[in-house]
Amino acid sequence: MDLLQGTLDLLVLRAVELAPMHGVGIADRIQQVTRGAFVVKPGSLFPALRRLEQRGWLEGEWAHSENNRRARYYKLTRGGRAQLAEEKRKWYRMTSAMNWMLESEG
Amino acid sequence: MFRRLAHLFEYLFRRRRLEDDLDEELRSSFDMIVDRFVERGMSPARARHAARLEFAGLEQVKENVRDGMVGSGLQALLQDTRYALRGLRRRPSFTVIALATLALGIGINTAIFSVFYGVLLHPLPYDHPEKLALIWAGFRTAGNARAPVSGAILGEIERRNRSLAGVAGIWTITRTFTGDNPEQVKCARVTTNFFDVLGVHADPAHGGRTFAKEDNGGPAIMLTDGFFRRRFAGDGRLVGKSLPMDWENTLVGILPPDFQLHFAPDSNVPADVRVFDTFDHRVYEGREQYFIRVVARLKQGVSLAEGQRDLDRVAKEIGGAYAEYASENLGFTLAGMQADAVRDVQPALAALFAGAVFVLSICCVNVASLLLARAGDRRKEMAVRLSLGASRCRIVRQLIAEGAVLCLLGGAAGIAVGWASFRGLLAIRPERLTRMADTGLSWPALAFAAACSLAAALLFGLVPAVDSLRLDFVATLRTGGRGWLGRLHRRAGAALIIGEIALGFVLVTGAALTARTLSKIERVHPGFEPRHLLAFQISNGIPGNAVADWEAQLAALSGVERVGATSQLPLDTDIPNWYSPYQPEGVDANQAATLVSDLRCVTPGYFAAMGARLLEGRYFNRDDRAGGRQVAIVDELLARTTWPGQSAIGRKIVAEHMAENGFEPRLSVVVGVVEHLHNHSLTKQVRGQIYMPFEQSPRSPLTFVLRAGVDPLSLVPAIRKMLHDRSKTAAMAKVTPMTEYLSREISPVSFTAVLAAIFGALALLLAGTGIYGVFNYQVSQRRPEMGIRMALGAHAGDVLRMVLREVGMLAAAGVLIGAVAALAAARWLGTLLYGVRPFDPLSYILALLFLPAAALLGGWRPAGRAAAANPAELIREE
Repeated sequence: MDLLQGTLDLLVLRAVELAPMHGVGIADRIQQVTRGAFVVKPGSLFPALRRLEQRGWLEGEWAHSENNRRARYYKLTRGGRAQLAEEKRKWYRMTSAMNWMLESEG
Repeated sequence: MFRRLAHLFEYLFRRRRLEDDLDEELRSSFDMIVDRFVERGMSPARARHAARLEFAGLEQVKENVRDGMVGSGLQALLQDTRYALRGLRRRPSFTVIALATLALGIGINTAIFSVFYGVLLHPLPYDHPEKLALIWAGFRTAGNARAPVSGAILGEIERRNRSLAGVAGIWTITRTFTGDNPEQVKCARVTTNFFDVLGVHADPAHGGRTFAKEDNGGPAIMLTDGFFRRRFAGDGRLVGKSLPMDWENTLVGILPPDFQLHFAPDSNVPADVRVFDTFDHRVYEGREQYFIRVVARLKQGVSLAEGQRDLDRVAKEIGGAYAEYASENLGFTLAGMQADAVRDVQPALAALFAGAVFVLSICCVNVASLLLARAGDRRKEMAVRLSLGASRCRIVRQLIAEGAVLCLLGGAAGIAVGWASFRGLLAIRPERLTRMADTGLSWPALAFAAACSLAAALLFGLVPAVDSLRLDFVATLRTGGRGWLGRLHRRAGAALIIGEIALGFVLVTGAALTARTLSKIERVHPGFEPRHLLAFQISNGIPGNAVADWEAQLAALSGVERVGATSQLPLDTDIPNWYSPYQPEGVDANQAATLVSDLRCVTPGYFAAMGARLLEGRYFNRDDRAGGRQVAIVDELLARTTWPGQSAIGRKIVAEHMAENGFEPRLSVVVGVVEHLHNHSLTKQVRGQIYMPFEQSPRSPLTFVLRAGVDPLSLVPAIRKMLHDRSKTAAMAKVTPMTEYLSREISPVSFTAVLAAIFGALALLLAGTGIYGVFNYQVSQRRPEMGIRMALGAHAGDVLRMVLREVGMLAAAGVLIGAVAALAAARWLGTLLYGVRPFDPLSYILALLFLPAAALLGGWRPAGRAAAANPAELIREE
């Protein structure tokens, strides 16, 4: 399934909400949780990560991964947390609106 | 906000670290993916391949990351600029030609337009100058449309008009400042309201005032700022005092530094007037002498046309009140002051401006065709870059950057060329264009010319961008870059070349016509022999009865061959022309009403000194004295028109003489006929001439002429010393070789000719390079075709001929269109030409030879390149 315009940021922020993760981990997590519906390619993942980092919503840090590779871990900042909440709110508003439209009778 | 700035800072100045970071992150991610594939049981090699597919181009990922970051725009701009500079350096011939074309187009136009603006459009330095106008008297019976007025007419205009807020008069004489270093200067006598009408005030830096009504005919004088500073060191204490002068005076004020008189040359109001004093009120009574130039200010809300209608009415009323003015058929012309002051140079400047616009068009065409050719060359490059992952947006940006860099460099070079050529024009400008220096380089003009060329450069610089948007790069790579652009280029290129040759044809014929005009004017015989002739005025030293003695003293100087003097030197416009009606004996007054001639009083040696040829009778001699028989010499023009087919010798005419109490008509006998001396214009015989012996009709100041066997200026110190010994108060002025008056007369023509020649040469050069650019490209596009032709048996000579034939056909089409345009333009050029017809065959033949020659020269190398190619190689390239 193609990603909706503007939803990649939300997916990435949500993926790192609970614990810091590296890029490949984030892509994997998105794929797992959405049951394979969204596959994020490196070509769009890394630009998004850097962009979110520049906005101050993510913070990158070098650390060692589970199989002992050096990887860049991304952590949600306080601003990122607020942004995530905001994005979520927007998303729910939009989906409920979509649902009302689709489920209306006649 | 702060964080973004910090990131921007980091991005711009710690790029290295960011890039390294990114590299490492991507590498480790790549490895992780490989690990994962290996875990799933792939061989390491297959795992790497799969990971690479997933990454779909590491470089492209990096590029995407960079694009998304803060500051990437700025960074990319710097990078694009660097890349553009590198691209321009890599193709030096393209760059040099494009830059030179832009620089010439922008520079030459800016310089020419600056002159045009400074002379024709820049408002005169007076208050509301658009409301100022000159009033010329027209004597229709005598056929003189631009005459000065008499005092009586000035008074009548003042009294009777309803449309003018003020009417002022001016005429010029000479005055001498006495003291250790006597100096003769030009003095303008003005009505007391003259400066009020112009809206000029005395320079407040020195106190003082302009003239007031009570000054009328009194001692009040004003000085120009420059003269006051030079001769009196700008000493403000002198205001209100009397200055050492041959005239009782009180200095009442100094004119502001930027003050200058701006009158047409035929008004005899020169720009280098230094002193102003006021009219005697009795001037208003004179009806006979016409010498006053009239400046008027229109009332608020009154247009020039309304003013003209008002003056027509005034003329009719004056004609009703004075019989003599009615018989002269008096009328008035109201002419805007600025337009009038430049009317003689306007056609030449307009033609030059049109020439400059042509050159600008050719430059734009050339830049366009060069860029178009380059666009074709770069199709392959574009295709390669697209396939390597550059986004189209990125490529368009890149092209814009290249265009912009080219434009900036070209614009800068254009400013330099503009400045230098303006300096050059200043150096060769004729005296009539003195106002050029006032305004300097015109920045709006620069902006306009720059905008034109730069628009052309940007527009055509974007062709590859447009092209790239519809570029199927696989197909382009396969065909080697031909396609719709090639077709567009061939068609547009042909049109551009034809246009260029046509414009060039017009410019070259224009240049040839002006050059021929110049050579004709330079060969005009002015009625005297100007070489080795020195002219100068003397004031306050030689009383009338000492003139003969002084002449004898001059003649005794070694190196001096002949000496004479006249009241008005030919081609000297400073002194108001002396001309009036004359009446041949036996012709009644009514018939004689149209007969007007120039009047001059001369000493006996004058004609011989000038080298004027005597056609009949004799020169004046020492026996033609005051009180003796009144004699006159006439010129050939007057003799021919007055007594056609008969000898003028012994005929009697009544003409105005200078007597002790003013002018009076006297009967004189014609004793000689001389060749017409060109008093007013080299190109025209304006009117007939009557000469009277100085002793019978003495006028001052006299201008002495001295024919020398040596360089005439080398005599000046000796003359100065002789004069000083004779009189401590005498001053020599206007010491000028006669050739100088001629070159002053010729200088507007030579100015035009020099510029026209430059335009013509530029047009040829530009046509040549333009054709070279276009054909060079087309030939490179058609190499496979040439290869096939040669493989099929065509010789190198055939290919050469084929390309040159195409050049020739375009040249022929251009010449044809150009000839039609040139013929149309020539008619309009008519007023600027002399001695050569607008359809002068020689000029057209020159253009006919030069333009195709330039075209062939431009097409030669591309054609040679095509013919020299090895057919086997050409086909292999396919």
